[in-house]
Amino acid sequence: MFSVSLPSPIRRYFDTWFDNHNPPSRSAILLHNRRLYILPTGFGYLFAIMLLLLFFAAINYQNSMAFVLTFMLTSLGIISLWHTHKNLLGITVKLQIPRPVFCGEYCEFKFEVSHSNNSKRYAIGIQYANLPPVYLKLEREGSTEIKLKIPTMRRGQFKPAGITVFTRYPTGLFHAWGWLKFDLPILIYPRPSTSVKLEQSMIEQYDGQTSTSTIEGDDFAGLREHREGESLRHISWKAYAQGKGLLTKTFQGHARPSLWIDWQRLREGSLEDRLSLMAALVLAAESEEQKYGLRLPGTVIEQDYGNAHKHTCLQALAIFSQSDTNQELELEHG
Amino acid sequence: MSTVSENLPIRSISQEVTNRSSIYAVCFCFLFSIAPHFLHLPVWVSLIVVVSLVWRCLQNHGKIRELPKWLLIPLVLFGGVGVFAEYWTVVGRDAGLALLTVMASFKFLESRRHRDVLILVFLCYFLIATHFLFSQSIFTAVLMFATLIVITATLVIINRRDENIVVAEILPTSARLVMLSIPLMLILFVLVPRVPGPLWGVSNNQRGGITGLSDHMSPGKISNLILSNEVAFRVDFEKEIPASSRLYWRGPVMALYNGYRWSQSRRQVLNRFNLTVAEPPVKYTVTLEPHGEHWLLALDIPTKLAADSVITEDFQLISKKKINDLVRYSMESRMAYVVGTDETLAYRELTLEYPQKTNLRTIAFGKSLAERYQRSEDIIDEVLTMFREQEYVYTLQPPALGDDSVDEFLFGTRRGFCEHYAGSFALIMRAAGIPARIVTGYQGGEYNNVGNYLIVRQSDAHAWTEIWIENRGWIRVDPTAAVSPSRIEQGIDNALSEEGSSFRIRNRNPIFGNLLYSWDNLQHSWNDWVINYDQRKQQNFLSKLEIGIDSWSDMIFTLVTSLVAVTGLFWFVVWYRERPPRPQAYEILFNRLLKKLAKQGIQKKSAEDTRAFLRRVSEQGFVQSEQLAKIVELYNRIKYGRSGLSSRALDDMRNLINSIQP
Repeated sequence: MFSVSLPSPIRRYFDTWFDNHNPPSRSAILLHNRRLYILPTGFGYLFAIMLLLLFFAAINYQNSMAFVLTFMLTSLGIISLWHTHKNLLGITVKLQIPRPVFCGEYCEFKFEVSHSNNSKRYAIGIQYANLPPVYLKLEREGSTEIKLKIPTMRRGQFKPAGITVFTRYPTGLFHAWGWLKFDLPILIYPRPSTSVKLEQSMIEQYDGQTSTSTIEGDDFAGLREHREGESLRHISWKAYAQGKGLLTKTFQGHARPSLWIDWQRLREGSLEDRLSLMAALVLAAESEEQKYGLRLPGTVIEQDYGNAHKHTCLQALAIFSQSDTNQELELEHG
Repeated sequence: MSTVSENLPIRSISQEVTNRSSIYAVCFCFLFSIAPHFLHLPVWVSLIVVVSLVWRCLQNHGKIRELPKWLLIPLVLFGGVGVFAEYWTVVGRDAGLALLTVMASFKFLESRRHRDVLILVFLCYFLIATHFLFSQSIFTAVLMFATLIVITATLVIINRRDENIVVAEILPTSARLVMLSIPLMLILFVLVPRVPGPLWGVSNNQRGGITGLSDHMSPGKISNLILSNEVAFRVDFEKEIPASSRLYWRGPVMALYNGYRWSQSRRQVLNRFNLTVAEPPVKYTVTLEPHGEHWLLALDIPTKLAADSVITEDFQLISKKKINDLVRYSMESRMAYVVGTDETLAYRELTLEYPQKTNLRTIAFGKSLAERYQRSEDIIDEVLTMFREQEYVYTLQPPALGDDSVDEFLFGTRRGFCEHYAGSFALIMRAAGIPARIVTGYQGGEYNNVGNYLIVRQSDAHAWTEIWIENRGWIRVDPTAAVSPSRIEQGIDNALSEEGSSFRIRNRNPIFGNLLYSWDNLQHSWNDWVINYDQRKQQNFLSKLEIGIDSWSDMIFTLVTSLVAVTGLFWFVVWYRERPPRPQAYEILFNRLLKKLAKQGIQKKSAEDTRAFLRRVSEQGFVQSEQLAKIVELYNRIKYGRSGLSSRALDDMRNLINSIQP
């Protein structure tokens, strides 16, 4: 509502006060009296100016009914203050832990908004920062689920800060709102670099062959497209006969090559570029169904594969912070 | 760590495009608010309103395209010039209203955003006030109350941000908001200190089409007025109401005669006058409906001035301001008096003048009377006897008269109304050398037994004469009384009963008479308490309450306290109704059981369902597991069964839980 920047001591005081009154929650937030704020909207002020004009007109024309109208509208304003406040009172907002996404993708926040009062609630808006709000209504003792798609701009631990639940119902003269602070472990993975191939030189330590294929093995795993240079021995002629084109039989087994995605080897680019590259490599290795490990300053994730392993690696990349790199740089200089 | 970049568009909520139902609602709301003004707005302005709204609705419906933006500028200019051409001004009540209406109509054409429609709704609220500049009657108030609900409903629709609107759901919401505003409004109305106006110049708007007395009189003038059933004024008497035949309400006095019409002479303001009285004064309060002129009505003869008024040499009460709004004034009159014995010669000569070239027969008749009789009283008697005994008829539908109107009436048609009799009588007197003038006003009135006051209508309008006689001063002579005594004694209804016209509530409607009197009484109280609630009334009322509100500071203190009290009360009600639900009785009992079990070291796991927990406890071989099983059964029955059966089960459950060993 306000874009005025306050002097820092006052701001700090206000922030502390605010945090005390709006403690972050891991689960659900109940909007009770102390969590709700209400101020006139721009239209509220306009309405007040109109009332003042009416009042002076009533005095000037000594028109009793104009006085009645002025006072009626004044009362309507006061009444709508209560109603707007009431429309939000007692509402519980629950945020489900969103699935981690890559930076640049939309993070989907799923809210469950409910209340247990015997009244209907209308035009309750949920807004993230200054994105367009989403509106919902609640039946008596009802609950609704809504989703907000939040663009992500930076990797790392994501603390959704500016979520507000607000309403201007019924008259639009007042804006009642509550700040929602959720202390949920939301992770944003680094944005994976595009068009990265595993063949690039930054991948260190191949166990076994330098080939990226997994055509050597014990157990038949499936078919994939034939690539140039691969042995004709591995082509599934059965599939070819069925008119599916040239397909190569792949196998899982001991012969699976494994690799290390290593921070030290990726010298080019900024910190974020390097992390992006590593994220891309993790994805590429996973899709190639190779065993891979991750080496970051201070963190080593042993070679493995599979969905859980992928997320472990990406999490490590997501929370990797600048201070770790600084230490590393110091070490190098030392 | 924020994840929203600063270069995203900052979108204010009011910038959002509003939905379709809001547009329809605002269009309807504007039409509803402006419609009563169609009666006095120029036709082209009303047309602009209708066309704009229809256009906007069709556009909303997707039938036609949006009007190009550049077209709005010439449209607005056209509207402004049109209003100026109509009124030669753009300010003041009528021109201002027309301009506002035209501009608002054009605003509709370009309104898409939330902000635009909200501004239009505020404009509709403002329009309500403009209606009160035209009328403050109960009917207007009720209509405006309905308008207030419609406008508020529109506001609710806009703020619901929902395309699917059920009007049957919105209207009660809006009506509740408006109804809840009434108590606070009443507090503000009674207690907000009233400031005497005006703060700036108010242009004296011509009130067109108001019926009432005129500053001149010619045949047919008053009989036209008689046809109106409108209330002219109402009178509350301090003591009993005098007999109807004595109630002569003095209005414009006319001394100038041009052979056809009577008009007012220019008269000086009196500071004091000699008066001989025989009776104690009659005290009363008049609530005069606006008539757009300066005169006030008072019983013959006023002896105390109303506020902001003067009295002229012909004993007319004149207000300093035009009566464009309802006024209320307290008066004192003497009904038996001798006045004007010291009348100036100049005025006596003025009241003897008449054109020599018309109405020759009447003039000759007057002169012959003067030759036959010495005393003025005899001449008067002679003429009144003529009216009484010859074939003169008192009628609302007299035949049309030509140039020598008095001659034609007196010696030809002999059918006339009060202005015919008064006019011809005065001319005969002047011809006979007796100073005479016409007094117009009202005679009689209708008693309202419900509110114990007198209603005087336009149909009670009357004209009579005043004759000046040496040593006796100005004497009222009412020739109509000679022709139709019942007009004076019983009122206009009885006098004209043969013509079938009726103006009295009782006569018009014998069955619902009292109901209609109650309705008139309501209007009277409305005038008294609402329309006339000004600074003086407020002070009188508040000091009469005897709770010590005597000054501005008292008023403001009381105002703030009562506002806080009422707000607090409402706040409490809201809180009470919206408070979180209290735990059910069976839950409380259950918690008691859990505490007992906890003392024995049997803990409920936090995620465990209470029923599952109890089942687990009894399965584990708890000593009183039989009771526990029963408790679980009762718990289920109360919680999931029909609500009506639970009170007995609750008692059983309580007993069982009490029986559990701690």
